[in-house]
Amino acid sequence: MTQAEPLVDDLFRREAGKISAWLARLLGPGRLDLIEDAVQDAFGAALARWPLDGAPDRPAAWLAVAARNKALDRLRRDARLEQFDESAAWRLGFSNPEDTGRLDDTLALMFVACHPGLEGDEQTMLTLKTVCGFGVKEIARAYLSTEEAVTQRLVRAKRKVRALDLRFDIPEGVELAERLPALVAAIYLLFNGGYTSGEGHDLMRHEFCAEALRLATLLTTHPATATGECHALAALICFAHARAGARTDADGALILLDAQDRARWDGALIARGFAHLETAMGSEALTPIHLEAAIASVHAAAPTFEATDWRLLSHYYAMLEEIKPTPVVRLNAAIAHAHVEGAAVGLARLDALAAARKIERYALFHAARGDLLLKLDRKEDAAAAFAAALDCPANDAERACLEQKLKACA
Amino acid sequence: MPNYMLLLYQTPNRPRPSSPDEIMAITKSYMSWADRMRAEGRLKGGEKLTFDAGRVMRPKNGRVTVTDGPYAETKELIGGYFAISAKDYDEACKIAETCPHLGYGGNIEVRQVDQM
Repeated sequence: MTQAEPLVDDLFRREAGKISAWLARLLGPGRLDLIEDAVQDAFGAALARWPLDGAPDRPAAWLAVAARNKALDRLRRDARLEQFDESAAWRLGFSNPEDTGRLDDTLALMFVACHPGLEGDEQTMLTLKTVCGFGVKEIARAYLSTEEAVTQRLVRAKRKVRALDLRFDIPEGVELAERLPALVAAIYLLFNGGYTSGEGHDLMRHEFCAEALRLATLLTTHPATATGECHALAALICFAHARAGARTDADGALILLDAQDRARWDGALIARGFAHLETAMGSEALTPIHLEAAIASVHAAAPTFEATDWRLLSHYYAMLEEIKPTPVVRLNAAIAHAHVEGAAVGLARLDALAAARKIERYALFHAARGDLLLKLDRKEDAAAAFAAALDCPANDAERACLEQKLKACA
Repeated sequence: MPNYMLLLYQTPNRPRPSSPDEIMAITKSYMSWADRMRAEGRLKGGEKLTFDAGRVMRPKNGRVTVTDGPYAETKELIGGYFAISAKDYDEACKIAETCPHLGYGGNIEVRQVDQM
């Protein structure tokens, strides 16, 4: 067995979250540290043993058993500091390692990680770490942070969870309604790349997006959490993720929506998106995410960029602007309106936005101005706009794309 | 193959293990036994009950009374159960004999689950 290492790597991501959720059910969410360490120990043992003995027939079950045994050992070791928790030991003793992967456990763990007692960043980071099984290194890369800083935030988050003394349950009734939005927000952040300021690793972004899709889908499969907003979130991510394969060329260069080969969009995922959207629209509440999903669906439904239903898109954007008038929403709305009202009106709308402080550090704002200025044949102004865009934070792929546009102005 | 419940009774007045290491050793022996049964495909379930004696409900003059369960020191209590598959009582008892519970002074009541 020489291929144990990649096998373990792949398994870690898939199984770590499941095993953690199962152990959190047995030991309580106050012991996330112990659980993380036990899971880590188990994977270490796998790395040490499998290359020699060969991988077991059922690696996932092997890992669950190993993690449980390590957890029991750690429970004993920690007893020097605290009273030995005999009940917890017995719960481990009577536990069934084949119980990993239960939806209820995963959702309960998400509700712990996204508890309102934690800050937004802490919620997303703790979700990435415990529910999704990402390493500190990967999280640090996505947040453009150092491993030490991420570790510290996670330590603080886990300390808060311990202090909150939470039950390990999916909340019910009023509490459920109060706490579900935090899960939606964390998944939205995960999907939307809110974890970076636009810079960062594209590959990571793709993986986080896939993970966001998995989590959003999980929410829609449990009766307690299958709300209209969760379906809308799943739809939104389906539509966006369906385009992932067409967003870059063979060299990793960014391809914008108007130039994407729509045959490369994932048709099955788009179909899934429409199914979620239909369910979402059947719910009473209309949230910003509903409208964002509806907007994404207009793009997904268009066979070509030219065939986009701009009027419908503009209509959805107008509704979104009303309930979520953030600079970024108004920017995207202005771009959509410009397709209906013409470049000059669009430009005027954009320029009206320039007063918003945050928008000036947003590459897409300047890029959109550049596009409209080009349409109006104001090449010099367009070049200045693209240059301004390049001064803003952007990832490598976006940067390359902007440079190309700048060149085209000459 | 029928299933059997192994009801694990705790003997009254038995001194409880005193050190964490002792408890760990006992827990692990139950765990290994369950793991072995699971590997053989025999284990159908198993849970430990909490250490308290629970509540007892009795009908009395058309009403139901609820009282605290018997003191653990004075009466046998079910501490947990395993469910296993076996072809008959003989085999079920042979299997139950290997359960560490008996080695720690507990009793096991073996009962067949009524199935079609």
